[in-house]
Amino acid sequence: MLTPHYSPSSLIHNPPSPRDITLSLLLASQAHLGHSTSLWNPSNQRYILGVRQGIHIICLETIAAHLRRAAKIVEGVSEKGGLILFVGTRPGQDRAVVKAAKLAGGCHLFERWTPGAITNASQILGHGKVVEMDMRDRVKVKSPNVQADAQKLDEHEPPKPEDVNKPIKPDLVVCLNPLENYILLHECGLYGIPTIGIIDTDADPTWVTYPIPANDDSLRAVHLITGILGRAAEEGRNRRIRRAEREAMEAAEGG
Amino acid sequence: MLSFRSPLSQCSFQSILKPGLKSTNSAFSRTQSFAVSARAALASPSIQEQAVDTDSIVTRLAPASPSYFTGSADFFDNWLALQELSRKYQTLPVVPADEVSRVRWKTLQQYRAIVGTQVKSAKYKKIVNLLNRLNRIEPSMLPEDAKNMLEKYKRPEDSNLAKPKQQQIDKWGRAWATGRRKTAVARVWLVEGIGEALVNGKPLAEAFPRIVDRESVIWPLHITDRVDKYNIWALVGGGGSTGQAEALTLGVAKALMVHEPLLKPALRRAGVVTRDPRAVERKKPGHLKARKMPTWVKR
Repeated sequence: MLTPHYSPSSLIHNPPSPRDITLSLLLASQAHLGHSTSLWNPSNQRYILGVRQGIHIICLETIAAHLRRAAKIVEGVSEKGGLILFVGTRPGQDRAVVKAAKLAGGCHLFERWTPGAITNASQILGHGKVVEMDMRDRVKVKSPNVQADAQKLDEHEPPKPEDVNKPIKPDLVVCLNPLENYILLHECGLYGIPTIGIIDTDADPTWVTYPIPANDDSLRAVHLITGILGRAAEEGRNRRIRRAEREAMEAAEGG
Repeated sequence: MLSFRSPLSQCSFQSILKPGLKSTNSAFSRTQSFAVSARAALASPSIQEQAVDTDSIVTRLAPASPSYFTGSADFFDNWLALQELSRKYQTLPVVPADEVSRVRWKTLQQYRAIVGTQVKSAKYKKIVNLLNRLNRIEPSMLPEDAKNMLEKYKRPEDSNLAKPKQQQIDKWGRAWATGRRKTAVARVWLVEGIGEALVNGKPLAEAFPRIVDRESVIWPLHITDRVDKYNIWALVGGGGSTGQAEALTLGVAKALMVHEPLLKPALRRAGVVTRDPRAVERKKPGHLKARKMPTWVKR
């Protein structure tokens, strides 16, 4: 009989939810292990519990609290229909990032961020296809009835050429390795896009809006955090879809 | 009369953000609706298309693909789909690497034309590696979805290209082929027989005094263990003894491929299928020969 044990694929296939955050889970996932004391960023001292064997140890309760806050934010953004971008460019992070984006109905990025994708979006993302989605995450396609109304609108005010395939920006960016993606975080800062990031003891917590002080080098810790945020986004999204369906039914009954 | 609301500006999202930050996603404007693009068969839309209903009029602009921010969404979607398939079927039995049939996948230029973006060759190579891995699965056990995916990436036969005329075996059972090396030209007729060889009417030992030349003439038959199964009758002219022998090698190999086309990979591995393009290099002005220069003088 197999006793409960850790299987790496479970963090990808069936990630835990924010409700499953426990200090023992974070400890087992090595989320508390910081870097060597000589490499620290002193801005992080509020998150550090102490020193052991030459490395800084991040306080587990701090990790849990910040992670729960980040999950709440992700859930809220998802519930309002915001676009969440999950970014993780280190090797091994791609599967977690793709899964989290899938749960959230958002976007993923696991290769190098092209600088200017936000500030110079028309040039870099100009070829990307943009669709119109309702709150049930269904793509709107012009029906014959709408065609007549749209034509009337067109006569009144034709769509501007630059709006036809206007590049869009994310509403929230979750970054798993802020040290490598400082350009992305800078661009988000320029445009007021909130960011969540896994801040290790050598990273700068001011680079992101909502830091999660944790170990960014352990894949297990990173997959855990990404999975939790993905699940939170999924919950928010499901709530939004259910509410939209309810409203649609009520409108249909009323109309 | 349709009314449009921007959901993001109206919600209490502001309260979650730090003061000073606001949502950057643009409000819905009177733009054209886009159906999810289906560029060739390789862009795989993951979103469901629905006919619009007037009740759900609150809309937002969203990317058609989750790989939107990569800049080449179609490429990443394709890559992820192939990775998923490869993982799904990783336990299926596999044909040994040297026995797998060689498939010609789409060239980088063809793939770029389909996907639209300037995909780098290193990136496309990753896709080709995954395709080769999927292609190694035992053909009888290859599932439908994997088979369809592989078909999409196969290079189409270019019907405009002129194909070389396929040599046939004539009514006397002979296959005819030519071989060339340096300035020697050989015409070879290969018939099923007992292992005789005549070159310009002479037996092999008389035509080529050197053992090496004799061996190279029957080398294609030797490596395929068919020395005693075919007779060679050849006419060769031009060049010198080795050039003529190597020309015969190529001719015999090509004639053998007419008899047994399936021997081509084996003959290629032995190196007898390629026409050796090396020829005597011309003499150049300022040189004594092709490369040799006159003695350097200080003054």
